[in-house]
Amino acid sequence: MNLTFFSLAFLSVLVVRVSAAPVDFAREILPVLSNKCFVCHGPDAKKKDLVRLDSYEGATRELDGYRAIDPKDPDESEMIVRLQDAEDPMPPEDAEKQLTLAERKLIIQWVKEGGQYAKHWAFVPPKKKKISTKGNPVDAFIGARLKASGVTFAAEADKADLARRVALVLTGLPPEPKQLKAFLNDKSSQAYEKLVNELLASPRYGEHQARYWLDAVRYGDTHGLHLDNKRGIFPYRDWVVRALNLNQPLDEFLTWQLAGDLLPNPTTAQLVATGFVRMNPTTAEGGAIPEEFQAKNNFDRVETLGTALLGMSLNCARCHTHKYDPISQKEYYQMLAFFNSTAEPSMDGNRYEFGPTIKAPADASAWANWDAIQTEEKAVRADQTRVLEAAMAFAMKPDHKDLLAKMSKKNNTPQDRLKLVADPKGGFKELAIHKESGALLKRMDALKGRMTTTLVAKDLPKPRVTKFLERGEYDQPRGEPLEPGVFAAMSAFPKEAPRNRLGLAQWLTAREHPLVSRVMINQLWQRTFGEALVRTPADFGLQGEQPSHPELLDWLAVELQDQKWNLKTMLRLMVTSRTFKQSSAYRQAIKDPENRLFSRGPSFRMDAETLRDVALWSSGLLNESMGGEGVKPYQPVGLWKALMHPGSNTKNYVPDKDARQYQRSLYVYWKRTSPHPMMTLFDAPSRESSCVQRSRTSTPTQSLALLNEKQRVEMGRNFGERLMKEAPADNAFARIRLLFELVAGRAPTETEEALCMALYTKIKYRYKNNEADAKALLAIGDSPRDEKLDVIEHAAWTQVAITVLASEIALWIY
Amino acid sequence: MNDLFREADLMMTRRQLFGRTALGLGTAAMAGLMGRDSFGAPSEFKGGLHHIAKAKRVIYLFMSGGPSHLDLWDYKPKMQAMYGKDLPEEVRDGQRITGMTSRQKTLPVCPSKYKFTKQENNEGGVWVSELLPHTSTVAKELCVVHSAFTEAINHDPAITYIQTGSQIPGRPSLGSWLSYGLGSMNDNLPSYVVMHARTKHAEQSLFGRLWGSGFMPSQHQGVLLRSQGDPVLYLNNPAGVAREDRRAQLDVLSGLNKAQFERFADPAILERIKQHEMAYRMQSSVPELMNLSKEPESTFKLYGEDAKTPGTFAACCLNARRLAERGVRNIQIFHRGWDAHGNLAGEHGNQCKDIDQGCAGLIKDLKNRGLLEDTLVVWGGEFGRTPYCQGRLGKDNYGRDHHPRCFTIWMAGGGIKPGITYGQTDDYGYNIADGDGNMLKPQPGKEKWTPGTMHIHDLNATILHQLGIDHTKLTYRYQGRDFRLTDVHGHVIKDIIA
Repeated sequence: MNLTFFSLAFLSVLVVRVSAAPVDFAREILPVLSNKCFVCHGPDAKKKDLVRLDSYEGATRELDGYRAIDPKDPDESEMIVRLQDAEDPMPPEDAEKQLTLAERKLIIQWVKEGGQYAKHWAFVPPKKKKISTKGNPVDAFIGARLKASGVTFAAEADKADLARRVALVLTGLPPEPKQLKAFLNDKSSQAYEKLVNELLASPRYGEHQARYWLDAVRYGDTHGLHLDNKRGIFPYRDWVVRALNLNQPLDEFLTWQLAGDLLPNPTTAQLVATGFVRMNPTTAEGGAIPEEFQAKNNFDRVETLGTALLGMSLNCARCHTHKYDPISQKEYYQMLAFFNSTAEPSMDGNRYEFGPTIKAPADASAWANWDAIQTEEKAVRADQTRVLEAAMAFAMKPDHKDLLAKMSKKNNTPQDRLKLVADPKGGFKELAIHKESGALLKRMDALKGRMTTTLVAKDLPKPRVTKFLERGEYDQPRGEPLEPGVFAAMSAFPKEAPRNRLGLAQWLTAREHPLVSRVMINQLWQRTFGEALVRTPADFGLQGEQPSHPELLDWLAVELQDQKWNLKTMLRLMVTSRTFKQSSAYRQAIKDPENRLFSRGPSFRMDAETLRDVALWSSGLLNESMGGEGVKPYQPVGLWKALMHPGSNTKNYVPDKDARQYQRSLYVYWKRTSPHPMMTLFDAPSRESSCVQRSRTSTPTQSLALLNEKQRVEMGRNFGERLMKEAPADNAFARIRLLFELVAGRAPTETEEALCMALYTKIKYRYKNNEADAKALLAIGDSPRDEKLDVIEHAAWTQVAITVLASEIALWIY
Repeated sequence: MNDLFREADLMMTRRQLFGRTALGLGTAAMAGLMGRDSFGAPSEFKGGLHHIAKAKRVIYLFMSGGPSHLDLWDYKPKMQAMYGKDLPEEVRDGQRITGMTSRQKTLPVCPSKYKFTKQENNEGGVWVSELLPHTSTVAKELCVVHSAFTEAINHDPAITYIQTGSQIPGRPSLGSWLSYGLGSMNDNLPSYVVMHARTKHAEQSLFGRLWGSGFMPSQHQGVLLRSQGDPVLYLNNPAGVAREDRRAQLDVLSGLNKAQFERFADPAILERIKQHEMAYRMQSSVPELMNLSKEPESTFKLYGEDAKTPGTFAACCLNARRLAERGVRNIQIFHRGWDAHGNLAGEHGNQCKDIDQGCAGLIKDLKNRGLLEDTLVVWGGEFGRTPYCQGRLGKDNYGRDHHPRCFTIWMAGGGIKPGITYGQTDDYGYNIADGDGNMLKPQPGKEKWTPGTMHIHDLNATILHQLGIDHTKLTYRYQGRDFRLTDVHGHVIKDIIA
């Protein structure tokens, strides 16, 4: 019943045209032709004598005396005949996809109007439409559409809700209580802008925004295939956070990642950024054939480029010319050629470092001090040389034969020799270098903790030959070697640009490129408003959805470039709009269930990382140190072992014992074949392939995790402790109030207060009669408990905190 | 208020159809056809998504690593005469060889050391190796397919291929396609359950993607039923939390969520309330499922004493039957350790001991309970093994490399013809052959299907078909393409359907 009703309702929405204006080919006809006709009559048409409907030339070509579209006499077009022909219909009766009556009518109208073709909207560079109204341009576009639908903006959200919302959207954490208070008390007109600026300046901003990019580039801490061993690449993740916090212009951000190594005298940061090129899953499986994986690695890179930056899948063109989008198989392999000459072997050897690597900062503070660290490293090296030379000179003395023997022992590293010199029993005690070498070793240790290695991209001196692969089979290369090249339907390759990854980056970030700025703006909009302007963010092609606000999308895409690719500026523009500030309460009077008009503020469940971070933060457990090797919070025993090859170095999960386990979730160790269950249960992707849109599901296993997972219980315990310490003693109401202030940024409603009070009373009574249970609950988790706190009381507040943290009040952005 | 809730219910339907949290049209269409409400609540099983289903559920026994068809199912007595001689070039026929044996100077023919016996079935009988004494007793129930084949030649791509339809990660697994297409018949247990059985030879890895949902919403991913710790992740309350405490928590949680719903009216909030309740029910239904104390001793006669030890393959098989009884439609058991490169005798013996009685017990048990007729059981790995030896060839022990060109799987129940064999291979078990022993060169592809062969896409198409799903019609749109489990390939093997 429901189904039928809504199918009809849905169709009517799509089908009824508002105006009698001429048919808009790009928006109204092309998607239909693509979806229902191109399978046979599209770019990949198999038969030469079949009419092609993907171009005007094809459609107007004479075949056997007929023309699908007759430009001289449109009414006589064969298309009109066949669309209405009961005997010999098009599409044929047995075609999988049939045209609706409305679609037939529309196509016929279009043909009668001359059947003119236009490029698919996403392949035409965006242009700014002039807007006359003052105020935020976002609102001008959104408002115009609202007005046309007879709707006004919703009222502004409650101030506290708004502060929480904007903080979560920009930084992935609620506003600090002090910050919130200052905002609520600030009656000036600039209060909100001030808060926004604070949030944009917070280092939490980069940590949160980085997550989306890490999904898109499929960042992982392991190789992803077969043994799925550890991979040394986390400095790349830390660089992304840093670059976003420094507000690096997006064009440069992308260029460094694609081609930092090809820039003149590349810096460490520029090289670390090329980890992007090295992010593809790799294998070292025993029988694997290197040529096969050379091809597969490149397929993966091209596909990631397509999904993350071009907003479309290119995979189809691997085996045949794209069925829908104007991408030829040859172009696909030309794009692949940009990546085919990187120097690393196609197999990872199961090694942490394989192919080109460099030394890189090991965490955020090392990034900040990297210049000093490098200077120190040079100094340490020089000192080491000097000390060892002096030591050797000493050992060469005739009566120091034993010393010489020890010093020149085979396989001795310079560090081993230094240790000898520093050894009080080593025979060097009388020399000044003895003391110095001890200090030197300490300096080396300190340095070691601050440096690590990371995979980077580098091209072979002589490029590999790239050929067209028949049906995408690595062992079926065909034709002449291909020069690296781009998709002509998008924009031309810049004239002066080199035919390498640097040139590719220049093509992508050129003003003429129709997709990259749109795709990026769409991703930004999606993370800010919960839903994107193009609701198929991974498909801007002919089969994708049309933007709900095409002019807004284009305006923002051009503005992004006009603003020199400044991400913070664009996000500021979005979150300071009236559109964003609307109340997110559902408006019953308006038929906009999916908020396609943006007739209410954003409201959506947080991502896995955010909902963990928010709980860590509110319980006071959050460790805000930034970066470093992936962290390992508790995980049920045996999860990895049940899957892994005995030879894998990721078969044993050893949880962190120290404060690292309370770092933000973007740092959680990402094993691609088995990511942390608290991530995957809440819709995080595996990071084996690019993802620019997560699902948001609701499952019983999520429910179990919210209430039973060890770290969540521990967070509840710490939260309980915090409530007991920070709210006035013996005032349950005050504690509930504080709980809500931290979780929701506001006082509880009467209902909420009553519910929590009832739970607190009930649980407290239960534990009064069973102290052992209370103690057992409080014993969960590594963090220490303040033993001075009353056990019964603490256990009861723990339960209340766990419950509220599992509620939609805590899990949603609204 | 009531109206608001109803409105939200309707909105949910729409979102499920078209929205971001979409269950997708498959499920929605299924709901319509099966007379279920759109939330996938249980109701009477009326048929399939596209046609009347022969099977209501599937139990897939996956042998990870590539069991040797030559030592278990594909009897090749003529190989004895060729012992140690190089595999004839015309037999190899340009087939690529993995990096592990490509540098070997010879490819010596290596006949099986195991004795085969012809078991009676409903046709001319089927040869079964002495390694499978129990399975051979159910030969009359099995459809043994000797002509399964794939293109992938290494584990990771091959297992990803057979389980997701693509060699490159990122696609939804077979199980999640079924979850998407079939929904659930049980409100207290997950619809798609995955188990990992213990092995002595944990060679080769498994990957979350094999039961993951790829680009589909993650509710379609398999739920692990574990033998260690909580049987379902995070199932048990923390220490010190009693069931009554949890009830109290959930009541308050539901109150808080309803209050939140009154403010924001997002239907997903109501969905969460339902999921909390299902989780609560799972907390009793899963332990009930796992509690074998009420199983009579006869059960353990069937499955073997092993079935009393959690985590063994036999125990997993018993769980599978218990899950099937409780309306779970989609059950997979992964058993590793079949990758016998150098010590086949040492390893396959143990492997077969692990699985043999469990397989046979499961078939008999399902049959006794009248469940076999509508339960499809599938047994097989990601590829077969070579007739030539890898490493040292001995009379008592040898190794075999990966072999994609032919391997044996079997199916039982669920509307598959019982007691037959399908397809055959040449005298070396190297190529699929026609009835006269001539080499067939099947290619995957819907136009090019070669009778007598079963590409892995054909296998998956046939599994879907038995469950009432047309593999060409169960689609999910991602990046503009209507994806299918079988890509653009796959052919339902009608010859094996009863």
